[in-house]
Amino acid sequence: MATALPYRPSNDSLSTSNRQTTGLPRLSPAPSFIGRSPSSSHGSYRRISTEHGGSSFKPRRCKAQYPLDSPERHVEYILVASFHIDRGPIMEHQYPAAISGDESMLAELMLPDQTHVRSQDWTMFFLHKDTSADDDTDSVDGKKKKRKSKYRGNQDGAGTQDENSDEASDDQDSSDDEGGEGPPLMYVLNLVNTKQDNTVRRYVHHNSHDVLYCELTPNSGAVVKAMAICTRHSFLHIYKPLLLLALEDYFKSPYPETLASLYDAVNAMDLSLMPKMSILERHILQSSNTKDMFLEKFEQMIRQREEEESQEGECPPSPKKMSRYVLPRDTHEYESKVVYNDIPIPVKIPTVIWPETVGDFSLIKLVQTFAVPHATSPQAFQAHPHLTTSGPFTHPIIVLVNAILTQKRVVFLGHNRPSGEVAEAVLAACALASGGILRGFTRHAFPYTDLTKIDDLLKVPGFIAGVTNPTFANHPEWWDILCDLPTGRIKISTHVEPAPVTEGLLFFQQQNALLPNNTNTTHDPTGDTLFMEDILRSISQRHGENAVRAKWRSYITKFVRVAAAFEEAVYGASNLYIIGPGEELSPDSPTGHQSDAADPSSLRGHGYVWTDETAKQRELSASVSRIEGWRNTRSYYSYIQDIAAMYFPARPIQRPDITHHHDRLRALKLSHSEAASIYLALSHAVKDYAGICQLLCVAPENQAGLFYISMGLFHPDQVVREATVDLLDRIAAHPAGRHFWTQVGRFAKLGYIRVKRERDAAAQSPISGAASPTIATGAGTSFGGEPQSLVGVAMGGSMSRRS
Amino acid sequence: MGGQVSKMMGKIFGTKEMRILMLGLDAAGKTTILYKLKLSNQDVTTIPTVGFNVESVTYKNVKFNVWDVGGQDKIRPLWRHYYSGTQGLIFVVDSSDTARVEEARSELHKIINDREMKDALLLVFANKQDIPGHLSPEEVTQQLQLTKLKDKLWYVAPSVATDGTGIFEGLAWLSNNVKTQPQK
Repeated sequence: MATALPYRPSNDSLSTSNRQTTGLPRLSPAPSFIGRSPSSSHGSYRRISTEHGGSSFKPRRCKAQYPLDSPERHVEYILVASFHIDRGPIMEHQYPAAISGDESMLAELMLPDQTHVRSQDWTMFFLHKDTSADDDTDSVDGKKKKRKSKYRGNQDGAGTQDENSDEASDDQDSSDDEGGEGPPLMYVLNLVNTKQDNTVRRYVHHNSHDVLYCELTPNSGAVVKAMAICTRHSFLHIYKPLLLLALEDYFKSPYPETLASLYDAVNAMDLSLMPKMSILERHILQSSNTKDMFLEKFEQMIRQREEEESQEGECPPSPKKMSRYVLPRDTHEYESKVVYNDIPIPVKIPTVIWPETVGDFSLIKLVQTFAVPHATSPQAFQAHPHLTTSGPFTHPIIVLVNAILTQKRVVFLGHNRPSGEVAEAVLAACALASGGILRGFTRHAFPYTDLTKIDDLLKVPGFIAGVTNPTFANHPEWWDILCDLPTGRIKISTHVEPAPVTEGLLFFQQQNALLPNNTNTTHDPTGDTLFMEDILRSISQRHGENAVRAKWRSYITKFVRVAAAFEEAVYGASNLYIIGPGEELSPDSPTGHQSDAADPSSLRGHGYVWTDETAKQRELSASVSRIEGWRNTRSYYSYIQDIAAMYFPARPIQRPDITHHHDRLRALKLSHSEAASIYLALSHAVKDYAGICQLLCVAPENQAGLFYISMGLFHPDQVVREATVDLLDRIAAHPAGRHFWTQVGRFAKLGYIRVKRERDAAAQSPISGAASPTIATGAGTSFGGEPQSLVGVAMGGSMSRRS
Repeated sequence: MGGQVSKMMGKIFGTKEMRILMLGLDAAGKTTILYKLKLSNQDVTTIPTVGFNVESVTYKNVKFNVWDVGGQDKIRPLWRHYYSGTQGLIFVVDSSDTARVEEARSELHKIINDREMKDALLLVFANKQDIPGHLSPEEVTQQLQLTKLKDKLWYVAPSVATDGTGIFEGLAWLSNNVKTQPQK
């Protein structure tokens, strides 16, 4: 299982050494970048980023997410189905080959219920289709696999054995979004058109009657046809304009050639200049609104391409060539085009794709659908410990998330709505509960399904399904919660299985019984009510989809961390957290204690931070049921696999737990000495490229950014202030960190300048310089020369932000 | 407020609600009947039903929620999913399609022998009475072997769906014979 979630061995060469030395402190790896003055950044971003990209941060070539020579095609199959008057839905054509498996089931999925009442409909569905030719029998829908042999042929022709072996390791890299539960899903985007057509006969059973009846009702025929694209890319929505054109063409010329021209057009799409990112880089990019974050990587891709081309001698390098490749206007998406029938159609592909994010759904739309009726006239839910975690008036969106987390059967019903709408709701719900952190929801999601598959659906333990047939509402035995899209109401089934009484629950209650003040005294023990208010405020203030997704991501992160704290409290250890080296799971080892006096980074403590013990008990007891409900689910087990696999790539700094200590800075009133040890530990541990990435993930822009770190500039102890300056200098020189630094407030920047001046003064007078020998001298040599330029960066940044 | 008023009116005049399931072989005229009920004075043209239609029709103080499910033989196994809570079954027969009346009989008996349908009223529309060579309502009764049914309230109404003949008579029979509110 873990092989499907490999970590990236060394995005920068430093993480390798990091692993070998198990987190022991290293020397600052990059005197080159400290020595280099960022003052040149005044003029343009381009120049500075070139320097960083070229010299210190990226020793390795930048790889493409979708290389030109990849055997993976963008689109694997094109299908066409139609509604036959006698036989119901049938498959008409498949290109380049039959997809195999149950053809009639596929055709039924492609022609959703009630397509006859609307002229156009979109749907999505997923196929569990294997990628290897060897285990045909294993594949979920009994579908065979013909790809592998086909690709072998391709490789022989190309004769690029080296690159293929390189590719193999790359594939492992990229599969960390998917893996763990078998082959990646095949996503199907499907368009249905219904066209009234007088020439089509309506009834065909008996020739004699046929003629007669056609005379009676001449205008009653219709042609219903559907075209689908099957791809392994989760951004399948980019193909929508192409399907519209191609299906229109197919009505005119219903031949396989129409499918072939679409197939060739989409597979000729060039995404090879889209750089590949590490998990931390992706995290930073996604939670940031900065449009040129990691632009360096795109520049490097272009430079590499130009170098290759000049080596091959295809076209000599010339200034004119610069215009051939354009940098993206926003690094969050990569612009390319598909040329179909000589029409260039622009497409935008997301640079960062999180697990469980499929298509172009809107979380805002989903939240609003169910929040508005709840706000105007709240309805009491029937109580269920897993679901109604804040009492009978729990927010319906929280009920939905709880249901998905505890692996309930969730049905979205949209009677008289296009099936595309229910599919979007299902995909949004998957993303909501996943937050990009938990997995296993889309794999058991059925964005659109109908009555024909009900028996198979009911065999799946816990699913998220979208339907348009209102008869589902009459069958509460088929679902645990029903989310009705037209009314915006969520209903808990009368048939829902009661929450089992688990050991963990009993242990927790025994422990808690000893505590004097019990729970449920406060209004909102889970904090969910406040959280939903915050989400709705974000929506009404138009913060945008990205901001709402980032909030859900932190909600799920918090849920997992609270669950880890619960497991430690009740079971003594948690599966959900890998404790760093030197850390002990014992109550006698208090947070903030330094295990090795000589090593500031050996600061102890991990996990979620509560302001006090009562707050912790209150929150844990409010969440105990849903945590226990989550502990047996697929997403729980895949998360455990993920943290093992992601331990090194997502946590280059294993100690101290920088998330924990950053949270302490944020949430607690720390004494000066406690805060000092945190700032020293951070400054000591966060040194290399990956380490800074990790710190930036802990302090995202939407949660105050570097604010709490910059507060170290005002610490009474000079050693701490200077350590903070060193840390901020490293961050400011980091390709992503420089964007964070420009967003730091003016107050903190003035503090930064003051500490710099003090240090300069200290460097000139040897007496005060001796007070803090290590840091002052070490930093003095690197920075002494050019303090003004750094101030310039700081001021320039804040100026440009204001203007 | 408005909702409360109409609820009160409902109590005064005793509006009943009835869940009706309309089944029959393909091309029997189910969808035409449904839309003739819904839009009584308009000409109705229909296309084959992909899946189902459902509409509410109020007639003589009874609100009929009529479910019309596609009749292609491939999707007939899905009919059973619509049974639960159904108070009345409308079974539509193409009286002119003498070759398939036996097929219709077998499907009908499959439906009404289901446990979930044992309390449902049975209304049969002997449809397409305007086509030459059609069976009379009596012949349809005989061919469908309705007289063999025990403990079942049934009625055969002749109809011409395309012009609306006989349809409301059938509905009147249903509203006169329905007893209970639908079980929720």
